[in-house]
Amino acid sequence: MTEEREKVLVIPCSGVGKVHGLLSREAAYLVVDELASDETQVVCLALLVKGDEETLATVRSRPCIAIDGCGKACAQKNIEIAGGEVAEALQVGRFLTRHRGARPGDGSALSDEGWAICREIAEDVVTAANRGRSGEGAS
Amino acid sequence: MASDMNKTTKVGIISCSGEELAVGTISRSAVRRVLEVLRPHDAVTLCLPLLLAGNEGERNFARTHPTITIDGCDKLCARFGTEKHGGPVACSLVVPEILGDRATSCSRSLRDWSQADEQAVAIVADRIAAEIDALMGTTTPRLSSTPTRRISEVET
Repeated sequence: MTEEREKVLVIPCSGVGKVHGLLSREAAYLVVDELASDETQVVCLALLVKGDEETLATVRSRPCIAIDGCGKACAQKNIEIAGGEVAEALQVGRFLTRHRGARPGDGSALSDEGWAICREIAEDVVTAANRGRSGEGAS
Repeated sequence: MASDMNKTTKVGIISCSGEELAVGTISRSAVRRVLEVLRPHDAVTLCLPLLLAGNEGERNFARTHPTITIDGCDKLCARFGTEKHGGPVACSLVVPEILGDRATSCSRSLRDWSQADEQAVAIVADRIAAEIDALMGTTTPRLSSTPTRRISEVET
């Protein structure tokens, strides 16, 4: 079993209005619940932005992967502001551009296409997490 | 008082981001149901991290409109964040207080979604809609969450 301190943190977008936020969160859950459950852990973005001391300490001590929904990149920016190291910054929009014409769903539910895109994002997160744990691109 | 600010316009709903918790998912899903089905013309959602991070559009809306916060845990990020950057909230809801023991059987991923989650979302969404009605000064009966009725029929 992986030590808690070694887990890579996955911080998804919190957006409610569009499918992008839902894709980022479901990708994060796919990683931490299924694909790399012993190696990764999800963190609440709002706790980080709010300045919760426990969350800040955790973010500063482990590699972080941001999964942002839009170009405002709230997750990535707030990891950086908190003094954490962004091992990888993914944006859902980039995955969607690979699937032009796809209908991934909406802010409430994902279609089959959406779940497939979600898995693509999750697989990239796992790859990044493995790099982060081996020390490549992360402290 | 916040509810006096804009009686004829819209209510801002700020949901817990709560990615770590199932109640965060319930909170966001309930907000979506309110915006899509129950009160589509009366409410908008504000993005909590944007609000906290200093987005002026989000903060200005929160300052000039009544807001309802829906939090997933006792850290009350949505409420405290909104009060700090957007002024007093008109209504603060906490999902575990609304759901009680039901909250423990909820899932954080839609992959694991069950009837218990649907029911929880419906209960929270109906509560949000009722608070919107109160803030908007609506007295006539309005749409409530259909899945609540369907599930309660199944249970009986």
